[in-house]
Parts: sequence; structure tokens; C-alpha cells
Amino acid sequence: MDKLIIGRYLPGESLIYRLDPRLKFLITFYFIGIVFLANNVASYAFLLVFVLFAVYVSKVNLSFFIKGLRPMFWLILFTVALQAFFTPSSHPIWHWAFLTLSKEGLVIAAYIFMRFVLIIFISTLLTLTTTPIEISDSIESILKPLKVVKFPVTQVALMLSIALRFVPLLIDETTKIMDAQRARGVDFGEGGLIKRIKSFVPILIPLFVSSFSIAYDLAIAMESRGYKDGEGRSKYRVLKWSRRDNLTILFMVVITIILLLLRSYK
Amino acid sequence: MTNIISIKDVFYKYPGASKYAVNGVSLDLQENEWISIVGKNGSGKTTLTRLIDGLEECESGTIEVDGQVMNEDTIWDARRKIGIVFQNPDHQFVGATVEDDVAFGLENQGMPRDKMVVAVDDALKMVDMQDYKKRDPQSLSGGQKQRVAIAGVLAIKPQIIIMDESTSMLDPDGRKTVINLIKELRSQQKLTVISITHDIEETQLSDRIIVLNSGKVVKDTTPADLYNLGPQLTEYGLEEPFTNLVAAGLKDVTSFNGYLSEKGLIDELCKLNSNM
Repeated sequence: MDKLIIGRYLPGESLIYRLDPRLKFLITFYFIGIVFLANNVASYAFLLVFVLFAVYVSKVNLSFFIKGLRPMFWLILFTVALQAFFTPSSHPIWHWAFLTLSKEGLVIAAYIFMRFVLIIFISTLLTLTTTPIEISDSIESILKPLKVVKFPVTQVALMLSIALRFVPLLIDETTKIMDAQRARGVDFGEGGLIKRIKSFVPILIPLFVSSFSIAYDLAIAMESRGYKDGEGRSKYRVLKWSRRDNLTILFMVVITIILLLLRSYK
Repeated sequence: MTNIISIKDVFYKYPGASKYAVNGVSLDLQENEWISIVGKNGSGKTTLTRLIDGLEECESGTIEVDGQVMNEDTIWDARRKIGIVFQNPDHQFVGATVEDDVAFGLENQGMPRDKMVVAVDDALKMVDMQDYKKRDPQSLSGGQKQRVAIAGVLAIKPQIIIMDESTSMLDPDGRKTVINLIKELRSQQKLTVISITHDIEETQLSDRIIVLNSGKVVKDTTPADLYNLGPQLTEYGLEEPFTNLVAAGLKDVTSFNGYLSEKGLIDELCKLNSNM
């Protein structure tokens, strides 16, 4: 579990941390969108510079981002290889049966690789610098317009924040159950696929049962503390929009304009 | 003294059960009283407190909280006056951080944010946890979690605190801090404390002990009277207090007159020493 970087939060103090989480959330999605606008070496280089600049400003060690790539390594390699070998071309450098390696193919493969790196870096930056609860607050606030169509935004937000709050507790519970079952002779991660799946039954059943009992206890505790149905509640946590958020938006507009210029420059 | 809670002829059966969990209980609990409810497992202690908070609805009989009969309309008023601290600290946390959790009850009341910030700070100060405000509950010890749970209850300024075996999962140190905290808070504010417990030390602090057995009140008396019963206590699911055991051990040398508190025992022993 410790190896997984995506979804982890690292406490910090830099500028990126202090940005409004709603803005960070939206910018991340926006950036993923504009990555697909890049179409030549200059525009990709420019986006890479932008991402590296964001990483630098966040003061998070670059090695975390490189570690974040690791779980995606095989997917990236597979996609890049497909692009490189299956791009049809009239001037192949190398040809064998149905595999063709050409200059165009290599360039496209390099672009795809860049896209992966950029998207993974920027989303890792979001999760490393934003606490899960800030992310769930942002989702609530971004979904707020859906109230018009009777979507239960406050309830969904509470559900999200409870789910996030119980992740570490359930991880603890899982380790405890696994240790208890190991003590009674269950062997995890041994034998064939079917045997391995079977050995997870003695973890899953107690885990579900205990999740239900935790949920029941929590519901009673919430009700005794006066929780009715999410309506008429005030909020203790507030998100504050500040001047630096406006500046960041301006900065993103400039980035987009430069990107569009580079895109049309051949 | 005024009655804060009065329970009249309350019956309650869990769906599908054949026996009554609460079988004709009538009780009057007074303002600022510290009441211990004891009894074996399954004697209906927890069910009784759930009925008081309106978490379960009684089959017959009435419950009055602060002069108001409990029904569908008054339940939420009653819950504002009653705070419950549950047994397992892990299962009662709603917030992702300590301050969020303490604020949860206030959010439910729709308190404006600026007032809430002050109330949360005050409540955390009362339990001496203000330095842990931003912490994730998972990173706290059991005693600290229970203190935060108490802060969450105190923030809504209840008149009644129900401790539902709140110290049973704590180590002796954690238990002592929580008990002392409740003791102190009760002397500062006009709190009524109802504590369900198996812990002798806790019952010794109370003004009154109610013993339940299969859903019925079998004893309603002061700790001193109850502990005079001696070995009979085990029938009620209680151990004898430490002072009783000392007195029993000394019965060849001297005999004391009835149950003594720890301080009383020390005084008696000093008296004996000076007589010699």
C-alpha cells in the first residue's frame, strides 16, 4: 500500500497547497483537456515546461512524480509500442511481417508518451497537494448546480467524506483480519489463481460484516448528535477564494493562448 | 431538586425477540445527579438509554425529558439536551479531522460558522485537546479519541450526558482521565450524568446506582448501600470494590462499620493506628 503514490497526500506549505482546492480540481481537468491540443514538438515541450514549473512551485520532490508513473509503466509501454509498430507509412525504416517502424510512427509514439507523463504528473500533483477532504468539498461545491435537478448534493458530499474518513480504519481492519486468519493457517498469495481468490473469502466476509456494524454504530451516533437529513445544516469547513486564485486563472489563460499559438506554428 | 428525566412504565421489545429488553421500568432522574446504571450483559442498560434519546421508540409507557413528553415532534429537542458518548471511539467519528468532528453536532443545528469556530475551540479546551485540532482521528490514542467524542457532545451544551460504557475500551490511564474530566465538568456546569458501566471506580463516584436485571430495576440506591451487600454484588454483575476486599482481609484484626470509600478507609486506618 505504501508504494502507491496516486491518491496520497503529502503535507506541505507551498503556493500550490494554498490555492483553492476547487480551482486545483478544475485546472487539473482543464489541463488534461488541453494536453490533447498539443500537436507538435514545440507545444509538447511547452506543456512539459509548464508541468515542471508547477512541480517546482509545489516544492514537492520530483521523485514522487516519477514513482507515480511506476504503476502505469506497462500500460504506457504497451500503448507506445502499439503506436510505434502499427503506424502505416510509405517510408518504413524497418519492416517485418505486419510490424512497421517508421519515423512518423516514432514521433506519434513519443507524443503519446508525453501525454501520459503530463497527465499523470498533473493528477499526481493534485492529489499530493490536496487533502482528500478538500477534494470531496470541491466536488460538493462543483456539483452544487445539480441541486436544480434534485440531485442530493449535500448527502453525496457527506457520504464521500465519511467514505474517505473510513478508508484508514478499514485498512487497519483488513490488516487485523488478515493477521488473525494467518494465525489460523490461511496462506495469502500462494498457489494458483483460484486458490488465491478462495483465500480472500475469509478476509472479505469479516470485513463486510464489520463494515456493516461500523455503519450501524455510526448511524446511531450521528442520529444522537442531531443529524436529520442534511437539510438546514451549516458548514464548518469553508473554501476561501483569494486573489492568488484569480491570478492562477489568468496564468492559465496565458498558457492556453501560448499553446494555441504554438499549435498553429509549423 | 427537579426531575430532568422521568420514565413511567416503559416496555420495549426488540423486533423478533420474545422477551422484553426493558420490562416495565419507572425512574425519576434528577438534575445534576450522577447516576450509574449497572447490570449484567443483556440486562437492558443500553436499550434504556436509547429509549431516553429516542433512538428506539417504546412500546408503552412515557418518557419525559426536561418536562417534555417524548414523541415524534419533541425527539429533536430532546436530542439537543442529551449527549451520548458511545463505547467504541472509532465508530462514532464523523469528521475527517478532530475539529470537523466536534463541529458536526453544531452543523446539524445550523449554527452560523463564526459562532461555531468559537464553540469548537471552547469544547476542545474543556477536554484539553486544542493542540490536536487539525489531526486525523485515526492518529489519536483511544483515550484521546474518547475525549474528542466528549468534546463533540459538550459543544452542543447538553443538560444530560449519557456515557454508554465509554471507558470500557480504554486502558486504565485513559479511563482515569475521562472519568476525572466528567467529574470536573459536572461540578462546573449543571450536568446530569448517566453512566452505564462495569467499572467499580466509576460507580463509586456516582450519587445513585440503578441495578437492572432482565429489563427490570432490581435496586435503586446509593453506592454505600449497594456495596454493603458484600459478596451478593456478583449476582448483579458487579465486583466488590477494593475497599471491601481490604476490609474483608482485615476482618481478623478489626471490623469496619459497613462500606467505606477509599478516603474513608485511609481515615479509619489512621484512626486505628493512633489508637494503638
